Amino acid sequence: MRRALTLIPAHNEAANLPAVVAEIRERRPDLDILVVDDGSTDDTSQVLDRLGVRWLGWPQRRGVGCAVRAGLRYGARLGFDVIVRLDADGQHDAGAISRLLARLEQDDVDAVMGSRYADSYPGSAMVKRALAGVVSMASRRRVTDATSGFWALGPRAVTLLAAHHPRGYPEPELHLLLSRNGLTVAEVPVRSRARLSGRSTLTLLRLLAAGARVLLAVVIVPLRERVDP
Amino acid sequence: MTSRIQIVAILGSVAFLLLVLELVRRRRLAEEYSALWIVAALMLLVASIRRDLIDRTASWLGIYYGPAVLLLGLVVVVSAVLLWMSVILSRQQSQIDHLIEETAILSAELRDERRAGAAEAAPYVGAGPKTPRA
Repeated sequence: MRRALTLIPAHNEAANLPAVVAEIRERRPDLDILVVDDGSTDDTSQVLDRLGVRWLGWPQRRGVGCAVRAGLRYGARLGFDVIVRLDADGQHDAGAISRLLARLEQDDVDAVMGSRYADSYPGSAMVKRALAGVVSMASRRRVTDATSGFWALGPRAVTLLAAHHPRGYPEPELHLLLSRNGLTVAEVPVRSRARLSGRSTLTLLRLLAAGARVLLAVVIVPLRERVDP
Repeated sequence: MTSRIQIVAILGSVAFLLLVLELVRRRRLAEEYSALWIVAALMLLVASIRRDLIDRTASWLGIYYGPAVLLLGLVVVVSAVLLWMSVILSRQQSQIDHLIEETAILSAELRDERRAGAAEAAPYVGAGPKTPRA
């Protein structure tokens, strides 16, 4: 029997975390929950104590990639071999966790990603469509949503990413890393909701830096040495 | 034939070399990072003593103005040092990342232990005779 953990990286999400955790507990009471507090300056740490979930944290912001990596390492050390990663802003429907896990249970893939654009792209998602196209080409597999933060990771993916999860703006690079190391990914269509409250931390400057980083990753990651998960 | 500029250059190079060595002696500069600076100081010293080397290198490279070779050398050395520093910086960042994450994990494990300990101790508080639970 596999042990599964829900991993939620969070930066200043004190307002959204209670609802996100409550939804997971309602939909999947069997799953443990780990929140990684990435240098929040709001009341996140008090909220975490109140919620009674497992949590990790550090005083300065280091990025979602570092938060996920640390969470995976902690999860692996606690003996979890399946880890579901979802966002703290409430945009991921916890009801879809079961579908992701069911797909992973079929045992033919190392990871399952919840894709918001598996069927079609809305008109406002042209940039994401182009990005998905670039990532698909570079990873030589079909990726419909290169920026999704909704994943179910199996044992091989957990081991690999606990050591090598990309930093910075990690989601597109994650596809390249998994593909480079021969790990397979399946997509499951998911609904995306608007974040519950607050604003996204992506600004124009961050978006440009992220774009440059993705371009570099597209060139470099396929040329990197493979790592043994 | 020794000109004034040559003497100044030799003295400057020696002073630079001594500065690097002194920093290493005082442990202000780690040995592994001093190598490139020592090589740079020695190159400067050799170029100050044997000025003909600069002229010969210039003609071999097809540079008409001899002193430009000196500038070229300087740019190459400084770029190499900067690139090397970036490599060191990246390595240190990854080491710091690792340490921060390990510390966070340890502190979470400690919190879990304490919570488990408190949960075990709680039933005894003000609950009459202390009989361990099965």
